[in-house]
Amino acid sequence: MKTTRRSIMAGGIAVAATAAIPNIAKAQAKPPASRTIRAVLHGDIPTYDPIWTTANMSAYHGGMIYDTLFGVDEQDVPHPQMVEKFGVSDDKKTWTFELRDGLKWHDGTDVTTADIVPSIRRWAARDGAGQLMMQRTKDISAKDAKTFSIVLNEPFGLLPYALGKTVTPGGFMMRKREAEIDPMQKIDKVVGSGPFVFNEGETKPGNQYVYDKNMAYVPRKEPPSGIAGGKIVKVDRVIYMNVPDAQTAVSAVQAGEIDFYETPPVDMLDQFKDDPDVVVETLNNLGNVGWIRLNFLYPPFDNVKVRQAMLYLSKQSDMLRPTFGDGKNWRECGSFFACGSAMENDANEGWFKGGQNVAKAKQLLKEGGYNGEEVVLLQATNIAYMMNSATVLAQEMRNAGMKVRVEPMDWSQVVQRRASKAKPSEGGWNIFITSAGGGGMGNPFTNSGMGANGDKGWFGWPSNDKHEQLRQAWINADTVPERKKIAAEIQANAWDFVPHIYFGQWVQPTIHRKNVTGWLHVAEIIPFWNVQKT
Amino acid sequence: MTGTIIRRLLSMVPVMAIVAVCVFLLLHLAPGDPAAIIAGDNVTAENIALIRAKLGLDQPVWKQFIVWVWAMLHGDFGTSMFWGDPVLTLIGQRAAPTLSLAFTTLVVAVTLSIGMGVLAAARVGTWIDRVVMGISVAGFSVPVFVVGYLMVFVFAHKLHWLPVQGYRPLSEGVLPWLRNLTMPSIALGLAYVALIARITRTTMLEVLAEDYMRTARAKGVAAAPMLLKHALKNAAVPIATVVGTGVALLIGGVVITETVFNIPGIGRLVVDAIARRDYPIIQGVIMISSGVYVLVNLLVDLSYTLFDPRVRG
Repeated sequence: MKTTRRSIMAGGIAVAATAAIPNIAKAQAKPPASRTIRAVLHGDIPTYDPIWTTANMSAYHGGMIYDTLFGVDEQDVPHPQMVEKFGVSDDKKTWTFELRDGLKWHDGTDVTTADIVPSIRRWAARDGAGQLMMQRTKDISAKDAKTFSIVLNEPFGLLPYALGKTVTPGGFMMRKREAEIDPMQKIDKVVGSGPFVFNEGETKPGNQYVYDKNMAYVPRKEPPSGIAGGKIVKVDRVIYMNVPDAQTAVSAVQAGEIDFYETPPVDMLDQFKDDPDVVVETLNNLGNVGWIRLNFLYPPFDNVKVRQAMLYLSKQSDMLRPTFGDGKNWRECGSFFACGSAMENDANEGWFKGGQNVAKAKQLLKEGGYNGEEVVLLQATNIAYMMNSATVLAQEMRNAGMKVRVEPMDWSQVVQRRASKAKPSEGGWNIFITSAGGGGMGNPFTNSGMGANGDKGWFGWPSNDKHEQLRQAWINADTVPERKKIAAEIQANAWDFVPHIYFGQWVQPTIHRKNVTGWLHVAEIIPFWNVQKT
Repeated sequence: MTGTIIRRLLSMVPVMAIVAVCVFLLLHLAPGDPAAIIAGDNVTAENIALIRAKLGLDQPVWKQFIVWVWAMLHGDFGTSMFWGDPVLTLIGQRAAPTLSLAFTTLVVAVTLSIGMGVLAAARVGTWIDRVVMGISVAGFSVPVFVVGYLMVFVFAHKLHWLPVQGYRPLSEGVLPWLRNLTMPSIALGLAYVALIARITRTTMLEVLAEDYMRTARAKGVAAAPMLLKHALKNAAVPIATVVGTGVALLIGGVVITETVFNIPGIGRLVVDAIARRDYPIIQGVIMISSGVYVLVNLLVDLSYTLFDPRVRG
């Protein structure tokens, strides 16, 4: 056969066409843009196991593909989700749960209690609320394929709430195979039973994560509210896109290339006032609480007077304004529990109502015997609110006569350093700044940092027996009014011994295209069921 | 020639060994703990220690180094501590966007800059020369992200000609591929245009002052063949060197460009990995990019033989 230029070109085209066939087939399988939501969330998904890590983005991922036994509604009240019905014995120690019909894993097998029991154990090994539950648990066992029970040593009225909480790590149910993996090791397969199926083939870690509608999912009949009610998926596909640059993400929403952006910088929001295609909407009304952790192990914050001085010398608005601008999206808050939460109260808020009082702070420092020890403040420079608030706080402490050494570093170094119990002069620390979701900070139970159990507790290791007794009393309380009363006592005590201080509370408005509607208002995660694109 | 290539390839071994030691030590001695990042916020120090043990990070550094090198010698660059995917798979997923961006940037840079440099040298001292040098200074001085944002504003926002962000693989068609790469390539290529145009102009001016060029002019050789056939070929060795070293600069520039235009390339992969201290990815990317850099230098050296027969001898 004679080789000609034409035959070589024809061969080349044939090879290229053959190579393109899988991509063409893949492209044809893709849902149309009108049935696909492209969303940019607040970060990248660090790992697919929402139990192994407590990183928020993994909880977002978990919320898509896994289901939970209970779900909390927009008022933070738990309702059955995977559970059809449940009951508690007269002595309040034996809880019995029955799974609802139609629950299937994404591999097509039935969800049974053989999966649920190890899933609860794995979640409880890593979650603060779960650990508290396990301290009171005598046994978790399956009665049959659909019924299981939890037998307690003492009553625990918050059990449905704990199993349904959205604060990471949520109680995501996994197959027996994954649920039996050591909770200190990550799972190797991503198979859930939730409203979306993880599409690993189309996913490119660090770039895009693809979730397809679970056609076999049977939603509850109740209307959706928070994580409770029917999870009805109204699109074919949701793509989480990791766009690290805020300006790029905002421009892409304006151009219609992206449908939803969770964390647009607040200083860019004004440009959407006159944009007919983009809507600014706050989905998480409790937002975040700015949190200043003090190290109880070393001077000067081992002294209660010095800790009290911190309440008086800091001014929340000064710390928030540099990052969040005018007061539209933030507020000062003197409550120990997130403002807007059911437990918000004004007990012992004299320090807050009186405003910043540097003279009082100086007096307390003197009474506490502060003798000019250097305070090491860890400053995460790669997160704007942490960097700005640390700068302001350091200056306010200096104004009150304290000696402060600000140590700039990136957040991952702060995460490592805050676990150190060494002396501040030997690689430890005195203060670090972080934040926590208002949902978790709205009660003394879900966030480990709300405890004061010393060495066993969260970084800063505050210790106060009365605080712990009141927390237990709050957990044991049967009614909301009782809990509110105890919450006020917790707060009155907390602002005396000062386990930590706050620098206000802010919400993060989201932006989305006008034709994408049906967003649910949930603290901690963004649900994509009920959302539709017209 | 074959002997030279073998010798140069063998000389890569100690270079890569030094890179391996430096990368590993820098990463493991720098502050930051992947276990603490994995564990997240709502966690105790005990849990962090347990995760560290599961990841093998509680082992002595020398032991971790030996395990890593041994695996690498067997073609295993490890798996991401976070996603659990093999590092080579992750790099493979990201290679096409980065190589596409690098390729189109080099095409833009080399075609524009050599023409500009030759033109400036041929018209030295005139307004053309000054305009070319002005563009070069601007190309050097204006950061990639400023050019990028300005281009997005004009060509994506106002004119709607090009997409704001993203990457479309070549398999989806040449046109979508080019549409997504046009702005990033120009934004990134401007600095290289400046660099290569200046070096082209300088070397061309040196060559044009040589006796043999004067002789060519005296013999009546036309301007275009004289510039392109005689002068440019003799000026090519320094230009090739700059283009080669430009590849190293390109690796740094790609990181910012990939971020501004949301291109899922290797630059983004390594930046994200650094933020969360995903050691296997950082180590893998640096080892591979070092190898590529050394190979590019080898290719540049070999290209000298094409331009300068004396080197062949």
